Amino acid sequence: MTCRTLQLPLILVAAAVFPILSAAQDHSHAETAANIVPVSRAPGPAVLVNESRAPHTVEVTITAEPAKLSLLPGKTTVGYAYNGRVPGPTLEVYEGDKVIVHFRNRLSEGTTIHWHGLHIPNAFDGSPLQMVPAGSDFDYRFTIEKGSAGTYWYHPHPDHNTGAQIAKGLFGALIVRARDDPLRGIPEKLIVLSDNRFHPDGSLDFADPESMQGGIDFENGRECAHIFVNGQIEPTIKIRPGEVQRWRFINASAARVYRLAIPGQKMLHVGNDGGLFEHPVEVSYDRYSPHTRPADWETPRDLLKIQYSGAAVRKPVVIPATLRAVVPIDTMLAVRTRVFTLQQGFINGKLHDMNRVDETGKLGDVEIWEIENIVGMDHPFHIHGFQFQVIDRDGKPEPFRSWKDTINVPKHSTVRIVIHLADFAGKWMYHCHILDHEDHGMMGIFELN
Amino acid sequence: MKRWMSGIGVLGGAAVVMLTVAAWTKPDKAKQDKAAQIARGRQVIIQQDCGGCHGGGSDPSAKGWLAGVMSPDMEFKIGPCYVDPAAKPCFTTRPKNLTPDNANGTGRFTERQIFNALRYGLRPEETPDAEISGTTPGKGNFPLHPHYLAPPMPWMAWRHMPDADLWAIAAYLKNGVKPNPNKVMDSEGPPDFWASAMTVDKIGPYPAKPFPTENERQ
Repeated sequence: MTCRTLQLPLILVAAAVFPILSAAQDHSHAETAANIVPVSRAPGPAVLVNESRAPHTVEVTITAEPAKLSLLPGKTTVGYAYNGRVPGPTLEVYEGDKVIVHFRNRLSEGTTIHWHGLHIPNAFDGSPLQMVPAGSDFDYRFTIEKGSAGTYWYHPHPDHNTGAQIAKGLFGALIVRARDDPLRGIPEKLIVLSDNRFHPDGSLDFADPESMQGGIDFENGRECAHIFVNGQIEPTIKIRPGEVQRWRFINASAARVYRLAIPGQKMLHVGNDGGLFEHPVEVSYDRYSPHTRPADWETPRDLLKIQYSGAAVRKPVVIPATLRAVVPIDTMLAVRTRVFTLQQGFINGKLHDMNRVDETGKLGDVEIWEIENIVGMDHPFHIHGFQFQVIDRDGKPEPFRSWKDTINVPKHSTVRIVIHLADFAGKWMYHCHILDHEDHGMMGIFELN
Repeated sequence: MKRWMSGIGVLGGAAVVMLTVAAWTKPDKAKQDKAAQIARGRQVIIQQDCGGCHGGGSDPSAKGWLAGVMSPDMEFKIGPCYVDPAAKPCFTTRPKNLTPDNANGTGRFTERQIFNALRYGLRPEETPDAEISGTTPGKGNFPLHPHYLAPPMPWMAWRHMPDADLWAIAAYLKNGVKPNPNKVMDSEGPPDFWASAMTVDKIGPYPAKPFPTENERQ
């Protein structure tokens, strides 16, 4: 598979699902303590073992601890890992499940687990306001909302330190399944994308903030030369000729934006941040050859190799024309319009302050948020706890409805979204999801009463 | 009796009027102060020729007054290409729209962000709305990686204006000019946002050295 510097439509939580012509592979890699394999040889992210026998209950243990990782050939990298793996093991749940995560912080610093994209009680959001101190434990408890089936991820969210902890290896996938999934039965693959920078000895390279590179990272986000797929460099994926597969993508990079393409193959985009679209959308990137690609694309880079093996699949697969209903949030019900002005490194003129509430709202309200970017760089805007719908971009109505938790606001443009602030009161974060920007203060607190 | 009663009525009415006038006097004073500040800002802007680069010259009634680049001849070429068009590096700087338009001007900046631009050279869209403590990058809350206004903007001289004049400029730009939606393209600049060109040894200290220096006499 060739990767163009790709622009997934949702930037940081690339929960896109692409059926492609390719082949199947066993996707179940149950993890046990005795079953830890070096990350570079892992065939795909492991899946967390459910410790509960109760119905509709998923109980798992996640430990964050320092780890020696084999990310580069022949080199050892000291970093962090969830349960000894990078990416961390996947949390797989069904809509309606009760989830209990026994989290053990065995790092020498505070951390959290933020369940990126989930609509859950504020106390378990894993925001910077809910730190789990070094050496202590915390149980996250929440119920998976009906209709939220989709591809999410989990990652740390300490103030000023999110980018570093994710770069050290703390990120994992979270897959919410629906029992009435219209695409059930189609073989799946999970592709977690990340990038990193290393010293020659294999240790992680974080630029001195006062250096030129430090300034560039501060400005653009830490964009690194080594790109990983599920913690591996250019892994090979085996597929059977003629097979349709569903691929779920998660972009765990601090700042890198990807445009994905598989030359010569047809891809249907069937969902994003908050789950399936109403109808599949054909992805047009695969129409571009290196000679005709848009000028602003960088040189294509290979992300992974597809190896065709096994017997050809002859049974046709029908992708339903309608996947599900995405019920609109009625903009007529909006009680106010809130303006967020994104400037370079801060929002509404203010750097983030953990002790300041920037916005207040009323539980249950529907609001329109106008997010305007007045500077010459794109900023992906993420809201905790609530999925929203895009109304328009620079006045141009969104072509179709979908659920989103992160919206890229291109330079010098305005995006309007509608959001239903339902169910869960508390202090919620909103921020730029370029991790360096978030860590340096491009974040705010929204208190819902 | 009836006349007397109506006399009270008249007096009462007068008292109400007087109370009302008294209630208005205070805001009126604030209003007058603001108006005076805006007028001062206008005066400074005209005499410092802000319109010479940002549009309209020294005539506030001119088309495009302070609305930024409207044609390529208003752009600046910065770098060796200033003398030799083929020389590199070459950065195009475009005087910005200073009118309070939300999307394309200063509408989303606070007066303090404009003050900080004039006093410290810090780009308002890239510097938070905060009182700056210090002038050295990384010291106090002065940004570690400051984004400075591009070279043709003579903030390094204007930062020596009294506080009141800088606040007056900000007040005039925010309140005394109508928004003009003219969209100015982003300027180009080096990756360090001119930080290497704005060091103390190149632009001198703020505040200036006390009088008299070796070049001066009392």
